[in-house]
Amino acid sequence: MSVLLKLTNVAVYVDDTCLLEPISLALKQGEPLTILGQTGSGKSLLAQAIMGLLPDGLTVSGEIETFGKVMTLEERQALWGREMVMLPQEPWHSLDPLMKGVDQVKEVYRFVRGNSPEKALAMAEEDLAQVGLAGNGHKRPDELSGGMAQRLAITAATAGGAHVILADEPTKGLDVSRRDGIVRLLQTRAKMGCLLTITHDVEVARQLGGLLLVMKEGRLVEKGEAASILDFPQDAYTQELIAAEPSAWSDITAPIRQANAKDLIVANELVLERGGRVLFDRLSFTIKQGEVVGIVGDSGCGKSSLGDALLGLLSISSGSIVRSDSTAKPFQWLKLYQDPPSAFSSSVSLGQLLDDLVALHRIDESRIPPLMAKLKLPAGILERNCLSVSGGELQRFAILRALLLDPVFLFADEPTSRLDPITAKEVTQLLVELATEANCAVLLVSHDPDLIQRTCHQVIAL
Amino acid sequence: MMSMKKSQWVGLAILFALLVFSLGGMAFSPYSISQQDLNAVMEPPSATHWLGTDHFGRSMFTRMAHAVGLSFALSLLCMFTSSLVGTAFGVWSVWGGKKVDVAMGIVVNILLALPGLVVVLLFAAIAPGSFLVLYLAISLVQWVEYYRVVRAVTQGVIQSPARQSSQMMGFGRWYQFKRHIWPAISPSVFTLAAFGGANAILTMASLGFVYVGIQPPLAELGLMTVELFPFYSEAPWLLAQPLLVIALMVFAFHLLAGKRA
Repeated sequence: MSVLLKLTNVAVYVDDTCLLEPISLALKQGEPLTILGQTGSGKSLLAQAIMGLLPDGLTVSGEIETFGKVMTLEERQALWGREMVMLPQEPWHSLDPLMKGVDQVKEVYRFVRGNSPEKALAMAEEDLAQVGLAGNGHKRPDELSGGMAQRLAITAATAGGAHVILADEPTKGLDVSRRDGIVRLLQTRAKMGCLLTITHDVEVARQLGGLLLVMKEGRLVEKGEAASILDFPQDAYTQELIAAEPSAWSDITAPIRQANAKDLIVANELVLERGGRVLFDRLSFTIKQGEVVGIVGDSGCGKSSLGDALLGLLSISSGSIVRSDSTAKPFQWLKLYQDPPSAFSSSVSLGQLLDDLVALHRIDESRIPPLMAKLKLPAGILERNCLSVSGGELQRFAILRALLLDPVFLFADEPTSRLDPITAKEVTQLLVELATEANCAVLLVSHDPDLIQRTCHQVIAL
Repeated sequence: MMSMKKSQWVGLAILFALLVFSLGGMAFSPYSISQQDLNAVMEPPSATHWLGTDHFGRSMFTRMAHAVGLSFALSLLCMFTSSLVGTAFGVWSVWGGKKVDVAMGIVVNILLALPGLVVVLLFAAIAPGSFLVLYLAISLVQWVEYYRVVRAVTQGVIQSPARQSSQMMGFGRWYQFKRHIWPAISPSVFTLAAFGGANAILTMASLGFVYVGIQPPLAELGLMTVELFPFYSEAPWLLAQPLLVIALMVFAFHLLAGKRA
């Protein structure tokens, strides 16, 4: 096995601050290498340093050896496309939104590989057929699902025949089933050359196998065979990362579900149509007080729409939704949003938003500090606005705001999908724990069946 | 409320200086705008007449002060009215449901189909010399711009999770406007208002120039321009005064509007 890429003491600095501590690694043909770590752990910086894509102001030290020789930045950039390629994080940002899929692949064959237009088109179509996009080549990227768009982006990126493939979070934002498909596709591509994958998803690392590096805050914490590290993690951080995977959670379903709990929502033969498509047909279920109900299903199947319909934000096509609790006021039916920063006004500080709420509903202010302590929210957060706190903190703040209103029903629309696994676990646990304490029913939407399995009393599969 | 750039401060300073000139001139000048002195026509600036006298021997300083005051009054009134009306209708159009939006759309399209200056001319021709009619006509033309911008921005905010969340928590419409809609539209509204102020001044001057605006013997920048026009070679300093002030006011408003728009 030849070494295609070798790093010796590569580090990244901004001015004198070290963002990525010196790291050495070797990428061999046919052996995938995976870097695992949370957002902000410096994984993407490493990939950018290898490609020569670091933003201005960042400097890199150490030696990067490609195909057996040390190359300068310009020499490495000359290899882009033909020898070395970086796969896009989110396909929407790297595909041309107005160009047919097959043309985006064809152009690579035509202009990078120098084939005739007819031959390039034939090769592009063959490539698409290989990744299961045979009938979809004529569609524009916005007409494709997330998984299909990612497959298209990968096909286009690797059509140039690169041997060294760097994939930066290739499965971000994809459903579990789609994620596995992308991993398999990456594996077939990797057989011809070598593959370096960056991910925060332990499951992806497990499936890819090969070598594994675990990084935390710009520092390498563990290195070795993927299977052995993931099964017998030595470092505390690695253990924490693995434990944060929903499949590894202990069952945190609240035990104290009163058998005599009254019905809160009774949905009968619910039908919902959107844009001429029936999302679900004749769905019936009952949600009891204080119950945690999960909804699972792939993206686009109407999980969020169901929650919105229960809250009365969407009108249903037929069927009935009966809210049995007549004493609950409208503001006790609340929603937690998927993207925390978009759910807050950034014009004032979080403290001001909280004060507004306290003034409106005459909430007892002495309830706030203990709740903040339970949610592990630092007091300083109240002086900042929603754009300058982390996603995890903001989502916990959203839970705080909701709980102050003594909700009877909380619709959590993928509340942790934009968060790191460790943060996501923390937020989910707090949500379920505190809501159950307050006897508030939670409708939890997720695309991860494991997460739902571990947290919910009742599961609705769409 | 907003952090202003250096150029915006310069614009504000020019406007303030002009306002001080206008108020000071109106308060302290010993002459009135129509007081003629035919023994001293078209005099150059001197100690008695700081900015000289026009072809009837009237004090240019006094007349300029009144003209600037009039322009300011009209532009501020128009700015205030049209931004208030435009913003209110823009928000209402999004919030009030489909019917309101369609109805507003029809009204706005009719107004947009007519060139703005023609509408104002029409009104001015019906009642020449009326400040009130001028003000109403200019405001009627200008609010449409605010309406369109505010409506477009508000549409996004109304759909946003942030506003939906506030609504579910029981906050009323005024709160939702204050916290979500106003922060989103205020930069655009302020920019439009600054441009609108400049446009109001230009429109009034144009009407004065074609004699359908404010009537003599009142002093108005456009009217003064056309009155002094025949004497441009004998007394160029007289014609230069109203022109310079118009340019300065428009320039200052545009500086105030800032670069982003």
